[in-house]
Amino acid sequence: MTLFARHKKWVTGLTIACSVATLSSCSDFLDINQTPNNPTSVTPATLLPSGLVGSAFSNANDLNRFGSVIMSVTAGANGSPFTWDRYNTNGADFGNQWRFEIYGGALINYEKLIEAAQATNSNSYVGIAKIMKAYTFALTTDVWGDIPYSQALKGDENPQPGLDTQEDIYLGNSSKNVQSLFDLVKEGLADLEKTSTTNPGSDDLVYGGSVANWKRAGNTLLLKLALQISSVNPDRAKTIINEVLQGNNYITTNAQNLAVKFGGQVGSQSPIYTYTYNSSFSTDQLISTRFVNLLQGLNDPRLPLFVTRPSGQYVTIDNGFAGTPPVATSRSMFSTYVTGENGVGPVRLITNWQRAFILAEAVLRLGTAGDAQKLYEEGIKASMTSAGISDADITAYFAANPTVVTLSGSNEEKIKQIITQKYISLYGNGLEQWNDWRRTGYPTLAPHQNAVGVDGTRPVRARYIDQEIARNPNFPNNILQNVRVWWDVN
Amino acid sequence: MKKLLFFTFLLLFGWTAQAQDRVVTGKVTSSDDGSPIPGVSIVVKGTTKGTTSDANGNYRLSISDNATALVFSSVGLSRLEETINGRTVIDVVLQTTSESLNEVVVTAQGIERDTRSLGYATQNVNGSALAQRSEPNVLNTLQGKVAGVNITSSSGAPGASTNINIRGITSFNGNNQPLIVVDGIIFSNDVDNSQNTLFGSQPSSRLSDISPESIESINVLKGPAASVLYGSRASAGVIVITTKGGKGMNGKTEVTFNSSVNWQNVAYLPKLQNQYGQGTQNNYVNNSTASWGPAFGTPGFETVLSRQGETVPYQAYPNNLRDFYRTGTMFQNALNIAGGDQDNNFSATISSTIQNGIVRNSGFDRNSVQVGGNSKLKNGVKLGGTITYVKTAQKGATMGNGGSAFGQLTRIPRSFDLVGRPYKDATGKSIYFLDGQNHPLWSLDNEFYNSNVDRVFGNLSVGYDIASWLNVSYRVTADTYTDLKKQVLRIGAARAPLGQIDEDLRFRSELNGDLMINANKKDIFVQGLNATLLLGQNLNQRSTKQSGVIAESLTVPGFDNVSNGSVFTSSYENSSRRRLVGHYGQLSLDYKSYLFLELSGRVDQSSTLPKGQNAYFYPSAALSFVPLEAFKVQSDVVSYAKVRGNIARVGRDADPYLLQSVYTTATFGNNVASVNFPLSVGGSSIPGFQIGSRIGSLNLKPEFVTSYEAGLNLGFFNNRLGIDFTYFNTRSTSQIFNVAISNASGYDTRTTNIGEMQNKGIELQISATPVRTKDFKWDLLLNFTRIRNKVISIAPGISNSNITGDSFSGIAPSIAEGQPYGVIIGTANARTESGELLINPLTGAFMPGIAGQVIANPQKDWIAGLTNNFSFKGFTLSALFDINKGGQIYSFSQVDMRSAGQTEITGIDRDQPRILPGVIQNADGTTRPNNIQVSAQTYWAGLGGLASEGAVFDATAYRLRELSLNYSLPTSMLSRTPFGNVSIGVSGRNLWMFAPGFPADPEINTQGAGNIQGMDLNGIPTTRNYGVNLRVTF
Repeated sequence: MTLFARHKKWVTGLTIACSVATLSSCSDFLDINQTPNNPTSVTPATLLPSGLVGSAFSNANDLNRFGSVIMSVTAGANGSPFTWDRYNTNGADFGNQWRFEIYGGALINYEKLIEAAQATNSNSYVGIAKIMKAYTFALTTDVWGDIPYSQALKGDENPQPGLDTQEDIYLGNSSKNVQSLFDLVKEGLADLEKTSTTNPGSDDLVYGGSVANWKRAGNTLLLKLALQISSVNPDRAKTIINEVLQGNNYITTNAQNLAVKFGGQVGSQSPIYTYTYNSSFSTDQLISTRFVNLLQGLNDPRLPLFVTRPSGQYVTIDNGFAGTPPVATSRSMFSTYVTGENGVGPVRLITNWQRAFILAEAVLRLGTAGDAQKLYEEGIKASMTSAGISDADITAYFAANPTVVTLSGSNEEKIKQIITQKYISLYGNGLEQWNDWRRTGYPTLAPHQNAVGVDGTRPVRARYIDQEIARNPNFPNNILQNVRVWWDVN
Repeated sequence: MKKLLFFTFLLLFGWTAQAQDRVVTGKVTSSDDGSPIPGVSIVVKGTTKGTTSDANGNYRLSISDNATALVFSSVGLSRLEETINGRTVIDVVLQTTSESLNEVVVTAQGIERDTRSLGYATQNVNGSALAQRSEPNVLNTLQGKVAGVNITSSSGAPGASTNINIRGITSFNGNNQPLIVVDGIIFSNDVDNSQNTLFGSQPSSRLSDISPESIESINVLKGPAASVLYGSRASAGVIVITTKGGKGMNGKTEVTFNSSVNWQNVAYLPKLQNQYGQGTQNNYVNNSTASWGPAFGTPGFETVLSRQGETVPYQAYPNNLRDFYRTGTMFQNALNIAGGDQDNNFSATISSTIQNGIVRNSGFDRNSVQVGGNSKLKNGVKLGGTITYVKTAQKGATMGNGGSAFGQLTRIPRSFDLVGRPYKDATGKSIYFLDGQNHPLWSLDNEFYNSNVDRVFGNLSVGYDIASWLNVSYRVTADTYTDLKKQVLRIGAARAPLGQIDEDLRFRSELNGDLMINANKKDIFVQGLNATLLLGQNLNQRSTKQSGVIAESLTVPGFDNVSNGSVFTSSYENSSRRRLVGHYGQLSLDYKSYLFLELSGRVDQSSTLPKGQNAYFYPSAALSFVPLEAFKVQSDVVSYAKVRGNIARVGRDADPYLLQSVYTTATFGNNVASVNFPLSVGGSSIPGFQIGSRIGSLNLKPEFVTSYEAGLNLGFFNNRLGIDFTYFNTRSTSQIFNVAISNASGYDTRTTNIGEMQNKGIELQISATPVRTKDFKWDLLLNFTRIRNKVISIAPGISNSNITGDSFSGIAPSIAEGQPYGVIIGTANARTESGELLINPLTGAFMPGIAGQVIANPQKDWIAGLTNNFSFKGFTLSALFDINKGGQIYSFSQVDMRSAGQTEITGIDRDQPRILPGVIQNADGTTRPNNIQVSAQTYWAGLGGLASEGAVFDATAYRLRELSLNYSLPTSMLSRTPFGNVSIGVSGRNLWMFAPGFPADPEINTQGAGNIQGMDLNGIPTTRNYGVNLRVTF
């Protein structure tokens, strides 16, 4: 007792010090877990550009390197394009696209944009997001076939979403709660008709805020989607196209192209520019000899505007070429038509000439209204104009090359003519070229040299992403690149 | 009241005065050579009263009448209890022990304990076993010396990080590196990566700021029971480092000077073929990265045209890779001044390490100043403190697959004269055979990384003995540093052709306040039962900040300043702050020095867990029993025995800011092409955000590690043979993990509590002194570790998940159910059900592989280290041999060189066709043996490229890790000089290595310290070091 007495004050003091230091101030002391580094909510205006850039990357980054080389537009000198040129693909190929450009990029951002915009009745943002969501899902199913769609983008609620068939994705399946892509676009178009509390401006990297143009884009997307299923479901395709023709509000000028703008500085540039001119991957691919030969054979005036000639000549290699590729500085590459000046792009997702060729083919294939020849000419002219050819030169080309610009022969022969011109005009958009080729078999492409693949045939799908297979037991393993997707029936 | 106080005062001091009525003196000498031993602790038995012997082994101690015996103890010496019997002069002779079984060790929170009382395993390593080993990194000098510890250095780059795990990996996602405590200061050993670890340089793990020469001793607290008082962060074990400045002094002012110079050479490059040159399919191709060209001496191929069009000889350059490296040098100097006595002492140390790496433009310089001291004031208050300032500068080359010096080095054809021809033109541009890439020498000059660390750490403690049995102390510790990092890719760099400068500034600090109340009482309840109670409180705050800018499109060549950029693609700021309040208690009971029980408990409250559920409690209990003491057995054979066991649990909080889902500035793309918002479009800046790829959780709970441990210590023949065996079993549950989820969900991961993981293992140490004569002594120490780790479950429906970190697509370091932690999931070759490889009938190559398969396990089967020490008069020869058995490494470097026809094996019988092993599937499902002949090129390339199981190798290595020879001049020679001690020595490191399953040294880990192990993504090879050392004391 005596010992304690001497130290009583000490002990009491210590006890108080402990209490003060801990209990009374504990809640404040520990209440510091709000991140200073990231916002927890953002406005629609900051989500729209990231969604659009995500879609542009989905189309134009690695998947365009793949599409262009598979379609004999470019040829592989090194790296992945060299491998793809021989029809070899694997499940690691487009992991970044799947993870960070498509699902974890464009699509989730459109989903978040729809949420944020609906909360504030910003209906024009909602409409744009739905149209672009449909575009991006279509791109994804066209590349991979059956994909997560109706169960996708739900985060924690469904960390391992199941797959929907490509048929259900395009056509819808109410018994499985799958909304048709057509209906998704139509919903978006309906949202664009509503009044909107806020409207996009410069954050709209496509139209600078023109809702009217977005309506045209939505309707033109319907045309593209309809034609894609025209072989497997011609009736539905025809119905959709007729509806759009009746509404008469689709892309009719080059200025209305659904095309994403980029900037001219490092870090803001179109992906095609970066991998063509400013990346350690820039030496992986160059323009294929076959593409140059095709355009030369047609006397096509777009060739010098499409393809560069640093040495004054077209310096190209054949697809599957195994020898020493030419010196990098001399190679023919994508021109500014594709990359834009200093990389400003744009990345063209849906174009006026594409619309004209779609309608031309629909006339012949589905019997929709219109004049196939006129639409065919319209497509060629729009593409040539876009490439920078004057009206006078176009007229001269038409006069000098009547067999090229005039549809002739059977319907199938005419369609072959249409798709061949469409292929040329889609230069720089390898995925759409590949979509048409898989659907129609046109243009006629010779096998690449040294082709291996699974059975020596040109890939007709991309293999599922290894990592996705590992993370999601709903994915089948080992569907190889020679297995056709649903709409690819011939 | 006043009277009472006065009376108490009188009583206390009266008692004290009465107690100190007699003086005992004496001398402590060594049984080895009769030399005096300084620094021996001499304590009156049953009290805390004591002193230490001075430099001449003499001591002087006041004792009370009732004192019965003196206890003599010191590290490395046998403990001796000497009955006083009324003597006033007591001279003693102490035995040196090969492995001291009765020594006092520093355990958690600086508590000193007699090893016999410990119910858990700890292992002490003396500073002399770490210093002068031709190695500047403390962790590397610990390799092979401690059982239960796995240490892997990441490369031969100066200052590169070193991974350390104690008793396996216990957390799915948390930091599995042990807590480092230096002189009581919680010391950051973090690795701050500026760049993606696939392409960047190798930053240091920050324990590299401490020089091995400055270390007095290291004690490794292996299991949760040993470390529970450190709380949450000790679940991965604790490394308690005592520096020379942090220890107590013993009387004499002493000046020690160390100096060493070392040389380093690149070691264990793979053997290469020298028959075939650049090209493919027997053709010379001047931009090929392969050596499948024509054989040297083929008519018509005497000379060839280079990529630049010059005529060059077509011949082998057998040393083209080796000659790329230079001899590295390292100079280390340290001066230590220390003086004072047990109560009042001081210490000051300055040290300097200057290292130049094995490639130019790389190095590691470290300079530090430390001052410290302890004082006991007249009023009895004890004060102590140290403060250290360190400046560390690291410079290194960039690494990684593809566009880096080391990414290209595995692609050099055998006929390419790498160092003998110009590598840059008059304008400074690279001259190389591969377009779009750069000559590796050019890359060394123009692509590099700098880190400049300024670090201050220190502590201040105040203690007071309220009574002889009650002590209160408060200690404040601080550790803070800034790291100014810079990565420069000059104009022309393959990864950033327009040039890029990444200026990355880091700040990190940790503050701790620890209150400790220590009470001990003898003979409570029954005679012979002593109790010690410790109550403590810990307040902890950790802060980090990172900010920086990335400048691109550089204008002026060679001007390495961000103002040289014309575009700034990224500017960033990230900070974090976390706090923790811990309360802990520990009751230690000692019954007659043969039965010990220790009960501990700690409650932590953490800022990183959800409010309202952020407090968590965890207990531990440890028991040890010393039977010889209990049964009073005296034996000439068995001199010591102890059985021990414990059960412990440690909880751990989350990292900051994991509770919420957040938005981030949007970026898109990959290494092919990328953009960062805000975008600059048409003259305006467009901001863009995207939802983060991780889903937060508002219900996060702490994760736990529960451990069971049992052990046995045996000493034979007066402790000339010692055995220390431990079995442990730990279970990690409720892991805080970012579980990989389907990307189709829109996210990449979600944070949640999941899973269970187990580590079972044994640790064995055998120490022996097989020979001891007057002049000659042979000591050996064997450490053996075997750990079996298994991920028992992850989450419902999830059988595997990526470990957080950078990885190439298709090669994912992962946790997988039923597999050890960290397996690599990738593409396995297609096989039949019976396991035969499937061959493509069209090509004779393997069929396309199956993704998502476990293809490599980096965890080792077992590790053993054997140290032999021979001393003869003044000479000491020490050799450490170690074995890392098993474990697999995924090597880009080796598979790159093999599939490109560079390695020796690809040159053998190259003109012969061969057949890949496997079978071909017939249409009816049956198989036939593969009979398709392919060329050597198809064969070796077909065995596997970068992203395949063909890149997996066995990492087993046998190694002579250390060899050193020291000579101490006899004191007789020095008696007329001012020197107290002079020793000189030579040392070598990594002098011999044999890896049966790997063409080079498998001790490489390009991802650096952290949870991802077993990856060689074009790293810098290891080195062989050797040097000379000098140590002088005044």
